[in-house]
Amino acid sequence: MEINIVDKYEKLEKVGEGTYGKVYKAQDRATGQLVALKKTRLEMDEEGIPPTALREISLLNLLSRSLYVVRLLAVEQAAKNGRPVLYLVFEFLDTDLKKYLDAYRRGPAARPLPPHLVKNFLYQLLKGVAHCHGHGVLHRDLKPQNLLVDKEKGILKIADLGLGRAFTVPMKSYTHEIVTLWYRAPEVLLGATHYSTGVDMWSVGCIFAEMVRRQALFPGDSELQQLLHIFRLLGTPTEDQWPGVSGFKDWHEYPQWKPQSLARVVPTLEPEGVDLLSKMLQLDPSNRISAIAAMEHPYFDSLDKSQF
Amino acid sequence: MAANFWTSSHCKQLLDPEDVDVVPAADRERGITPEEFRLVKIHMSSHIWRLAQQVKVRQRVIATAVTYFRRVYTRKSMSEYDPRLVAPTCLYLASKVEESTVQARLLVFYIKKMCGSDDKYRFEIKDILEMEMKLLEALDYYLVVFHPYRPLLQLLQDAGITDLTQFAWGLVNDTYKMDLILIYPPYMIALACIYIASVLKDKDITSWFEELRVDMNIVKNISMEILDFYDTYKIDPQRGIPEDKISPVMNKLPAKA
Repeated sequence: MEINIVDKYEKLEKVGEGTYGKVYKAQDRATGQLVALKKTRLEMDEEGIPPTALREISLLNLLSRSLYVVRLLAVEQAAKNGRPVLYLVFEFLDTDLKKYLDAYRRGPAARPLPPHLVKNFLYQLLKGVAHCHGHGVLHRDLKPQNLLVDKEKGILKIADLGLGRAFTVPMKSYTHEIVTLWYRAPEVLLGATHYSTGVDMWSVGCIFAEMVRRQALFPGDSELQQLLHIFRLLGTPTEDQWPGVSGFKDWHEYPQWKPQSLARVVPTLEPEGVDLLSKMLQLDPSNRISAIAAMEHPYFDSLDKSQF
Repeated sequence: MAANFWTSSHCKQLLDPEDVDVVPAADRERGITPEEFRLVKIHMSSHIWRLAQQVKVRQRVIATAVTYFRRVYTRKSMSEYDPRLVAPTCLYLASKVEESTVQARLLVFYIKKMCGSDDKYRFEIKDILEMEMKLLEALDYYLVVFHPYRPLLQLLQDAGITDLTQFAWGLVNDTYKMDLILIYPPYMIALACIYIASVLKDKDITSWFEELRVDMNIVKNISMEILDFYDTYKIDPQRGIPEDKISPVMNKLPAKA
């Protein structure tokens, strides 16, 4: 039942602002375990628990356990000033991939990520995504900020399923205000009402490229500019390459760019990696590689998969 | 809601028939019989149904709400969790989980409109929000529910009897007046409804059923339960259980504080 949250957890510091509220680093007083406390906003006067929080809880409960998806340890109901508050208690990880990459990009220690680390992280990310997709859950908002990293153990975990949803086949129209622009798949940008696992694989491709480059691949600041970034590199799609593309709600006439060499934007990536990246960044989602298939790609042949 | 039922919490939460429809001790003490317990659940399921029609939500939201409602009473008593409040709160919670949120004040408005004369059904926003928290805990935070509707459509198509869709769909709707969704996988319930529909409409699909390689005993058992239900409760779908039958039972439950 309702508890006083500070009786059970010692709040150590605020570590961020999530989709629906503040996140604290805290310590379970009984076990000493470090946890992340995600507090739902106190706008509970009118509409109770935010739907995003409910969805995150239900989706995390739907997923069985995976090392590569952040674990929901408990849900605590507490009261603050007589009003109910809901805390989601997650395992705590010390950083996220965005901060992790920042350390390699800026400052005195700036240097490329070791290629084996990129490979290792990408494989873990694919394992997590495959786990979600295998359970019928789309993440819809994969980005470096949502990938938590345990620096010491070198483990990467998917977090923040607040925008995720369980999908059904065929997809019905979902609100398309979802994925952060930079990692947003072209079909979403074009206003597709039916979309699927491919939206997550596009994001994985963008994250893959970003780990290699240490900067975002498509840093658009509007939906149109985002599309132009994509088309300038991968070529403006035609009906032949992507049947139905000109029928999308938000399709316009675009400059007719020819595809550029993908290897040029990730010059340090080995050829097998470029090949895998090109399979993730297919404009037509039906041509995009699945998470399961990506894990079998020759790029990972040099990786010791038994460690996962 | 999701593509994979077998790995879901819904699947893991399926109950044995003997663990469902057991009158909680607190309700037994108030003189609620198993028959009356069932009546309240039927009555409140149709309450949810009627309320949902007012606020206009999709079928799946209603089905999820009724499932929550029935699941709650495999764990909690009606004496402690007033079904008159639990029912609309289940609808509220289901609407959020199924991504078509209904505002609490809208629910409160329509409850008042529907049950204007009966004070015991009237609640305020704050009551619903408080109950929402309690329900989450009662449901152990497992909120994703699968329903027979989608498999029903797929199976009807596969069997080539889509002309029975409307009839079978109605049967599926009626299964929510029972606890079947807590006990059987949704596609088995869909199959049972198809089985009944095919028998009543004289479609011979025996060979199609044989090719499915499902346990026909289970399908037939579910079908029998559904038919028994129709035999026992000849409920007018428009009006639910007659007032003179349900009122004495509801009066055994404590009125709200």
